[in-house]
Amino acid sequence: MVKELLSNLFEGFGYLAGIGPIIAIVAGVILGILAGAMPGLSPSMGVALLVPFTYGMSPQIALILLVSIYIAANYGGSITAVTINTPGTPSAVVTSFDGYPLTQQGKAGIGLGISLVSSTVGGIMGTIILIFFSVPLARMAVRLHPAEYFALAIFGLTTVASLGGKNWPKAFLAAMLGLLINTIGIDPISGVKRFTFGTYRLFDGFALIPALIGLFALSEVFTRIEEFKLEKGEETKYEKTQWPTFLDYWKLKITIVRSSILGTLIGIFPGAGATIAAFLSYDLAKKFSKKPETFGKGNPKGVAAAEAANSSSVGGALVPLLALGIPESASTAVLVGALMIHDLVPGPMLFVERPDIIYSLFAALLIANIVMLGLGLFGARLWVKVTVIPKKVLMPAILAISIIGSFAVHYSFFDVATCIGFGIAGWILKKYGYPGAPIVLGMVLGKLAETNFRRAVIMGGYDIFFTRPVSLILLVLALLSFGVPLYQTYKANKREKAGI
Amino acid sequence: MEIIKFLGKGPGFWVLLTVLTVIFLSIVLIILKSSKKQFAGRLIIPVFFMEFAIFFGILALGFPDRGDEVGPGVVPLLWIIGIFGFGIILLIRGVIGHEKEDPTWGRIGKVSIFIALTILYLLIMQIIGYYLATTIYLISGMYYLAYRDWKVMISISAGWILFSYFAFYRLLYVPLPKGLLIEWIFG
Repeated sequence: MVKELLSNLFEGFGYLAGIGPIIAIVAGVILGILAGAMPGLSPSMGVALLVPFTYGMSPQIALILLVSIYIAANYGGSITAVTINTPGTPSAVVTSFDGYPLTQQGKAGIGLGISLVSSTVGGIMGTIILIFFSVPLARMAVRLHPAEYFALAIFGLTTVASLGGKNWPKAFLAAMLGLLINTIGIDPISGVKRFTFGTYRLFDGFALIPALIGLFALSEVFTRIEEFKLEKGEETKYEKTQWPTFLDYWKLKITIVRSSILGTLIGIFPGAGATIAAFLSYDLAKKFSKKPETFGKGNPKGVAAAEAANSSSVGGALVPLLALGIPESASTAVLVGALMIHDLVPGPMLFVERPDIIYSLFAALLIANIVMLGLGLFGARLWVKVTVIPKKVLMPAILAISIIGSFAVHYSFFDVATCIGFGIAGWILKKYGYPGAPIVLGMVLGKLAETNFRRAVIMGGYDIFFTRPVSLILLVLALLSFGVPLYQTYKANKREKAGI
Repeated sequence: MEIIKFLGKGPGFWVLLTVLTVIFLSIVLIILKSSKKQFAGRLIIPVFFMEFAIFFGILALGFPDRGDEVGPGVVPLLWIIGIFGFGIILLIRGVIGHEKEDPTWGRIGKVSIFIALTILYLLIMQIIGYYLATTIYLISGMYYLAYRDWKVMISISAGWILFSYFAFYRLLYVPLPKGLLIEWIFG
């Protein structure tokens, strides 16, 4: 079995031996990095925008180009998250927690280097898991009951407890706010209009991308202007940035491997994806750390956990698509469309009828990660220059990027207004210690939690969450994950008061 | 339930909004006059969220119930209860002194003017179009933040305009606003 798989994989590498596939990979990686780095363009949008260009290509080249974009876009989001605290993709929000503090300390190179290498290793590990375990993992994912998906969402929410630290009530309030914001719009089950106030623009609710650009990029700009930390000379400390050594990367090996495995597994679940994978891995890295208090202040492990997880989730998302033909994320749904344009139907039969497509895709995924590493190492020297731009120039530029990024989502000024509104709210809330990340987490998890909660109750009543073993285990884990950081905070406060 | 339905729409909605606003402003006034005024922000924000929860809670209770086991208002109410609950916790923490004093505010005037400049930019964009409005906005934004190197200001603005044109308009087909005036002049 393994022998056959490896021989097919070698054949897959053989299909790539030619100038066409290599150009497709390199072009896909460059376009993907650009799409990811640009706030407002998600990986799925990057893939979708390039689909029309693949009509005239062979199915193999088309697929290679699109998955290369998909992989690189997940990494690209971290560049602006680390350098200017403007996450290019929703999952890069988590990268900014420690990546941007590293830049503020004059260590942008450390943040960029770690995000690149972690993304590469994560992407490769996700692909390896995809190659060897796609079929059994996909079967497991589709058998899960809505009650279990709800429990998974609740488990994801508990990361707020450790994100908040001493400010846990504020972090939870922010998460609840994000969850409530997610309910705005037409109810997907009953069709009832909820909190739309007669405004048709709210029928689809608030778009995530403008909200997160506002919460992170704009609030940072407003804080900077308010504190007026734009004086001459401030930028000079960034000029000679450090780069990670091999030893620095080696120290992160466990974090990267653990986050890659978790990221792949989370990526398999519908509606979960890269953002939740990054949040959960970050939380886990913090819990395993001997110095959890350094997270959020420039801990390289925070960057590594987030990036390894979001990149490995690409492999996870491809598991149900290739093994069962079920697209479980926006990006994989676009890939289905691209496959169908070329008369290919994803699913188990594709392994039998067109193994050349499948195994050349696997090989392309592995090579695209290596190309991304090469281009990323070259590009990092350029991207770090962003940090030497005077802040008086950078702040208006960030606003201009944010505005076009928000507008590009739906070509709507309503989204731009949303971005500015969230920016002002994020700035005020941050001032009083309310973090923005739980709001984003709530907005990401809201749909997964609500639809599965309601489906589960319709199928088996309210007690179904406690009668299904997997759901019960996840809820108990969620309770522990919620309770342990709070207990630790309580103990730390007590020690502080006692003066120990 | 009749009162909830009344408050959820029509004149009832405005009554609810007015009552909650008056209560909120009264509480703000009481806090500012009390001995806790150095914690004003820490107390006002939870109060705001609690009132926000009451407002949204009343609206959620008024969602049409079609006999489903879990109607459209159930999940929003769960989150609203959470917001109200954490609001109470934060209010208590603020009152009993578990919170730090309010942070000092810096140049709010400068931020307000910058926000106003951004809103003005969006309005002007509809008239003179994306490219011209963005050029003016970037240059005036940098000037407002006391940057005076005109060469850099002009080249950054021009570079961004070129990038947006090729990347967003030509490659990604984003319909950047042309502006009513430009359309009127050039057709």
